[in-house]
Amino acid sequence: MLRLFKKERMWRTGDLKPRYDVVIVGAGVHGLATAYYLGSRHGIRSVALLEKGYLGSGNSGRNTAIIRSNYRTPEGIPFYQASVKLYEELSRELGWNMLFSQCGHLTLAHTDSAVNGLRVRAENNQVLGVDSRMIFRDEIRRLVPAMDLSNRPRFPVLAALYHPPGGIIRHDAVVWGYARACDRMDIDIHTFTEVTGMRVEKGKVRSVLTNRGEVAAGSVVNATAGWASIVSKMARLPLQIVSHPLQACVTEPLKPFLDKVIVSATLHVYVNQTDKGELVIGAEIDPYQSYSMKGTLPTLEQMATYTLELFPQLHGLRVLRQWAGVCDMTPDFAPIIGVAPEVENFYMDVGWGTYGFKTAPIAGKCVAELIATGKTPNLIAPFSPARFTTGQLVGEKAAAAVST
Amino acid sequence: MSFLLRCPHCGDRSVYEFRFGGEVKQRPAPDAPEAAWVDYTYTKANVAGVQKEWWYHRSGCRQWMIAARNTITNEVLETLFPER
Ligand SMILES: Cc1cc2nc3c(=O)[nH]c(=O)nc-3n(C[C@H](O)[C@H](O)[C@H](O)COP(=O)(O)OP(=O)(O)OC[C@H]3O[C@@H](n4cnc5c(N)ncnc54)[C@H](O)[C@@H]3O)c2cc1C
Repeated sequence: MLRLFKKERMWRTGDLKPRYDVVIVGAGVHGLATAYYLGSRHGIRSVALLEKGYLGSGNSGRNTAIIRSNYRTPEGIPFYQASVKLYEELSRELGWNMLFSQCGHLTLAHTDSAVNGLRVRAENNQVLGVDSRMIFRDEIRRLVPAMDLSNRPRFPVLAALYHPPGGIIRHDAVVWGYARACDRMDIDIHTFTEVTGMRVEKGKVRSVLTNRGEVAAGSVVNATAGWASIVSKMARLPLQIVSHPLQACVTEPLKPFLDKVIVSATLHVYVNQTDKGELVIGAEIDPYQSYSMKGTLPTLEQMATYTLELFPQLHGLRVLRQWAGVCDMTPDFAPIIGVAPEVENFYMDVGWGTYGFKTAPIAGKCVAELIATGKTPNLIAPFSPARFTTGQLVGEKAAAAVST
Repeated sequence: MSFLLRCPHCGDRSVYEFRFGGEVKQRPAPDAPEAAWVDYTYTKANVAGVQKEWWYHRSGCRQWMIAARNTITNEVLETLFPER
């Protein structure tokens, strides 16, 4: 019992080694997952994670932790589904409770065109084995009795896409769990280590320059989300990414009254109640690109206004905190994963935008496999950077964005 | 962080009166190679620092303008109408 209170370090700190087989830039959930699967599945343990801030200081510590697989495209759905399956086993695999609660997820439709969009998703989901179906007001009322389903709002709720296995995870626990598992395989995690440049010779990155010195690298992975363009430019590879802030807020706690995740693209808002009773509310991305991580009053007003359209009884509820993260948005709301032929040992795992927390296990697993075997796993093939040249964009916006 | 933009016609206005139009880029010639058009369509400098970009004053004079803005601080250094 006393051992419970014993201080235990989850990961070591130490000096940079002169060389690693794999250097991962960015120790968010994607970088950490990639390192974990390199070590655990492929025995590659000469791996360093270089992180400019503290662990989880990027979007992995700022997201609203929604996990789901009810996407729209035949490329996206199996990929997200594989990630949910890994998340279902992750607490057990890492021996670390991530409080994954598959409480159910509802995407609301307030217009006829949105109803049609959700029908397409329901059909595609079912064909590909994802538990997802259309429900209407009577069933919505049973699942979410607190929501205003009358004709009072300007855009009344007409229907919803119901995805029972969707839910919420403790995002910090995922980051810490992966970090602890990496540390136990002697993978080095270097926080407050900023990558400032790269030495590129003959189509390969030879070494990475940091504020703590130079590190030689066999392979380099870019897993820096909102900062991906800056790091990619160091390897002389421009990206198709624009960085936009995404904001969220959390309210004071209430007695439990809502046990589903509610998303409305028409109202640009989503909301769920945490185990502590707080409401976590998210918005759409800021309407202009920026690297600023400051919240804004217009977005707070928008989150409050639209939440009250769904739950008018929450007026007067106080907001505890509001924050922003910088999201790496791609033109088709799908990630960019793979290698560019120009720099053969520089791997990209970027373009995670507003939806990449849920994908870290499968993306990390696939990127690790790509590095270890040199073969692109089928699940990530559609997300190759070459798709912009061939015109084979993925078109996931309708299911990934909180906007219409 | 929210901010004001100085419309050359209407003066200082909230950024929410405008539509953001992305970074300013040189449009390739109609007969330029396909790679140039792919680049123009998809590749972004995504500058962390001062960037020239398009803004449309949709709730005002409804004209397009160019702003120089620091994308880290959101400080707007200059706004002007493009040469016609
Ligand atoms: C408000 C908000 C809500 C969201 N909600 C959800 C959600 O509900 N569900 C979901 O699936 N996704 C959600 N997301 C998206 C999700 O958070 C991200 O896609 C995901 O966390 C990306 O993980 P990552 O590891 O790629 O990036 P990050 O966690 O951002 O990690 C990148 C790291 O790279 C570091 N870095 C950057 N530059 C350098 C450098 N030069 N040198 C060293 N290190 C560097 C950064 O400090 C950062 O820690 C949300 C995002 C936000 C902002």
